Amino acid sequence: MAVRSNARATGARVVLYVVLCAAAAGILLPFAWMIVSSLKTNNQVFTVPVQWIPDPVLWQNYVDIWAKSDMVTWLKNTAFLAVTVTFLQVLTGSFAAYGFAKMRFPGRDVLFLVYIGTIAVPWQSYFIPQFQMISGWGLNNTFWAIILLQAFGAFGVFLMKQYYESIPDSLCEAARIDGLSEYGIWWRIMVPLSIPAIASLTLITFVNTWNDYLGPLIYLRDRELWTIQIGLKSFIGQYNAEYALIMTGSVLSVLPIAVIFLLGQRYFVEGIATTGVKG
Amino acid sequence: MNRKIMTAVGAAAAAALTLTACGSSPDAEAETPEGPVTITMAGWDLAAVPEFQTLADAYTAANPDVTVEIKEYPAGNDYDTALTADLAAGTAPDVFIVKNLKNYITFQEGGTLLDISDVAGELDPATGGLDSMAIDGATYAVPYRQDSWVLYYNKDLFAQAGVAEPDGSWTWEDYDKAAGELSTALKAAGSTATGAYQHGWQSVVQGFALAQSDGASLEGGDFGYLEPFYERAIALQDGGAQPTYATVTTNKLAYQAQFGTQQAAMLPMGSWYIATLVKQQASGEANAFEWGIAPIPQLDASTAGLDNTPVTFGDPTTLGINAGIDEAKVATAKDFLKFAAGPEGAAALAAIGITPALIDDTVTETIFGLDGVPTDDLSKFAYSTHETLPENPVGAKTAAIQTILGEAHTAIMSGSVPVADGIAEAEERVANEVG
Amino acid sequence: MATTVVDHPGGPLGPPGSTPRGVPTGRAPGARLKLRNALIGWTFILPNFLGFAVITLVPVLTLFYISLTNSNIFGTATFIGLENYVKLGSDKSFHTALLNTFYYAGVHIPLTVVVSLSLALLLNRKMRGAAFFRTVAFFPYITSIVAIAVVWNMLFSPEFGPINQFLGLFTDGDLPGWTVDKDWAMPAVIIVGTWRDMGYYMLLFLAGLQTVPAELHEAARVDGASSWQRFLNVTLPCLRPTMFFVTVMITIASFKVFDLILVMTEGGPGQSTLVLSQYIYTKGFVQFQFGYASAVAVVLFFICILVTVVQFLYNKRKEA
Repeated sequence: MAVRSNARATGARVVLYVVLCAAAAGILLPFAWMIVSSLKTNNQVFTVPVQWIPDPVLWQNYVDIWAKSDMVTWLKNTAFLAVTVTFLQVLTGSFAAYGFAKMRFPGRDVLFLVYIGTIAVPWQSYFIPQFQMISGWGLNNTFWAIILLQAFGAFGVFLMKQYYESIPDSLCEAARIDGLSEYGIWWRIMVPLSIPAIASLTLITFVNTWNDYLGPLIYLRDRELWTIQIGLKSFIGQYNAEYALIMTGSVLSVLPIAVIFLLGQRYFVEGIATTGVKG
Repeated sequence: MNRKIMTAVGAAAAAALTLTACGSSPDAEAETPEGPVTITMAGWDLAAVPEFQTLADAYTAANPDVTVEIKEYPAGNDYDTALTADLAAGTAPDVFIVKNLKNYITFQEGGTLLDISDVAGELDPATGGLDSMAIDGATYAVPYRQDSWVLYYNKDLFAQAGVAEPDGSWTWEDYDKAAGELSTALKAAGSTATGAYQHGWQSVVQGFALAQSDGASLEGGDFGYLEPFYERAIALQDGGAQPTYATVTTNKLAYQAQFGTQQAAMLPMGSWYIATLVKQQASGEANAFEWGIAPIPQLDASTAGLDNTPVTFGDPTTLGINAGIDEAKVATAKDFLKFAAGPEGAAALAAIGITPALIDDTVTETIFGLDGVPTDDLSKFAYSTHETLPENPVGAKTAAIQTILGEAHTAIMSGSVPVADGIAEAEERVANEVG
Repeated sequence: MATTVVDHPGGPLGPPGSTPRGVPTGRAPGARLKLRNALIGWTFILPNFLGFAVITLVPVLTLFYISLTNSNIFGTATFIGLENYVKLGSDKSFHTALLNTFYYAGVHIPLTVVVSLSLALLLNRKMRGAAFFRTVAFFPYITSIVAIAVVWNMLFSPEFGPINQFLGLFTDGDLPGWTVDKDWAMPAVIIVGTWRDMGYYMLLFLAGLQTVPAELHEAARVDGASSWQRFLNVTLPCLRPTMFFVTVMITIASFKVFDLILVMTEGGPGQSTLVLSQYIYTKGFVQFQFGYASAVAVVLFFICILVTVVQFLYNKRKEA
């Protein structure tokens, strides 16, 4: 009996892995195409039928991209923006979320709906007034514009609030009785318990800032301020597109995010939140 | 838009947040007209597009007191988005390029362009596209470059297929016939090349139809003139003489690759491609083969042949002056525009392989003196002789109508609707939505 | 559902998602305490709210005003009252965009919730390679959208694409034209949209799943609950705050879908994939009817708000 069910479990596991691997291969197909294209010349990138093995294999693009473009500057700028924005978003977002989730005061729910409501307005419909305002402060063409734009979004508040709501109020109550202030509760209890949420907010904010295109496009004009997405897009000229280089750059720009994700996802292990609750 | 309100809000909020404004205010660099003057100009993709710097340098060489500083904008459609934001916020440069003729009238109506009729009056009347820039008798932007659509053909593939090369007298019927013969012969020889390649853009069908059909107009609301052009395009792709629209769009085919790697024997395309093809052949990105350019095929024999002027299309690229420019710089900016759109600017542009709006003998000589450009007489004729009509005639409704026609284009070319139905639907929508 | 959990003998905790009612009022309900609570609450919210109000809220409120004018972005705008909104009533393109948006959202929302939740459940376990598979699932979200559009369009290519070559093995009939067919373009876009978003929402679900107490699962297992029953009675109730968050975010994102459609089909063929966000962009930045575009944006806003409020109220009721 035990042997048979063991065998069945192993069989199920094998099937699971086969399915997962097949799905992974399918999901990674566009990424594979990016890599293949980065090893071609521009005129070989789009062909009928698709050429999956580059001939000849052109490693040159990975050398050229550093010489032909300011890749280093772009990566530096993007990293700076992504780190700053993520830090501010996580900090102010989780702070505000505590107010929305664990405090009771009049107007709280309405204010929260206003937050969500602005998410529903497409940015392309209000970026002109926003640009006029920020230009009025003389902050266009500076990193400040992007930081202000991205750091105080409603998204982080919403995400953190929902997570805090799943942490039992009894914990806060106990802490209040122990004489902890509300700020103390936030810092000593909520923050440690919400590591998985902070991890996902960090990842998402980081990726979104890293990949943001329209914001930097409107606000950052000087070449020294360009981010990676603006830089890559500049390979598409009016009449010509350096598609091979774009794909080279895209591969290079995805790698840091992939590494950060690999590191960050280990915070999604069962029990982080609940072990805290037990103790 | 209410710039004042938003700026006021901005100022108030800035004060409240005690943020110190550290940007450069436009008034800070006001200068006296006598001393050295700097004017700013919007350009895009400066690394790959040398034309802006070329014009700036040429002007400074002729006027050492003046510096033209290029402000870099993103390329493609993003140029318009970014420039629009800057114009709305009052942070745009002194001189800017009206890249899409469609937007010209909105920029003018929005009060962002200075009236420069005096500059236009001093330009050579032969400047391509100049006439079409007048709005109620006044001109707000002047063309400095104008590409026209011509027919590129691969002489090697023609020879291999044993089909007679274009001779300048072609109508679209001749073109279709050659495309069919080329495809058949090339296929028989084991080649994957097709006779023709038609890119997916709306203009490739509609630009010719509008320019060549008698009495065709965008604002008339009757688009019957498009029908024969669409019937022909569909017949070509159904007959296998060119890749289908579905393949062109889903496989994101690039015309540079199709023609440059000898996958198509003929390619209708704008004259900007000359410089690109020469560059790609030199770098090895395109194959080495003999090519030439011919006048674009005509609707009927009345405009075809070397003793006629073939009709084609192409929108001029124009320069205008920001209405918010510092009073003291207006004269300099106008002088720069006159230079850029005049013979000196034209010569400078031709030297880097760009087709200026004013094509004179010097320009033709310069272009055909460049290494790798075909030097046969037909190519020279095709390059220098044509009546080029705008794809987007200046009009308040042009942008809205082109959106609808663009949607009709994708619907018809993808085979989602029959040609006549697609056109009828577009007519109905224009009447209903643009009216 | 929540009751099941509370009544469960093995459940040491209250349902994590619920806010025990009356706790704050239970403690010294004085006006001063209320005021103090409100003040402290505001100090939490203020740092984010200040930035949010100035940078986002003010421009959004301006947008509402612009929708009542004939603004063309530049120059001065004239106040024209509700004229733009009246015009929307007879604008066929707007109606098409509205219908298409509902089509996209109606299919994309449930599909993405199911797929991303399944992925999260599948990968929320201790198994070899979990880190790798999670990263893979997140890859579509970080891969360049240009590459995504290119590869999917190629896969969908009616003549040369592998998808149709595969389908051709089973049928001799007409194969779908996918992105170049007016009836198939929307399904094609929805497939790619779900594929792209699943890893993103999986991440949010994964975070939420960490709040499900293992003890509850254990207890339910001892009671002989099947894994489906455990999912329904333990996992789902505990996941409710996350579920609310994710559905609201997917809803808004689906109604606002823009860049994916732009790179995949540009709204075509014809108007078959034209959605509201793209219509706003075309009206505003191609045709410069900025007042009119703003009116469309306001309509989109109210649709999203309406759906969100319904979800909000539903969630409140469940919570109570």
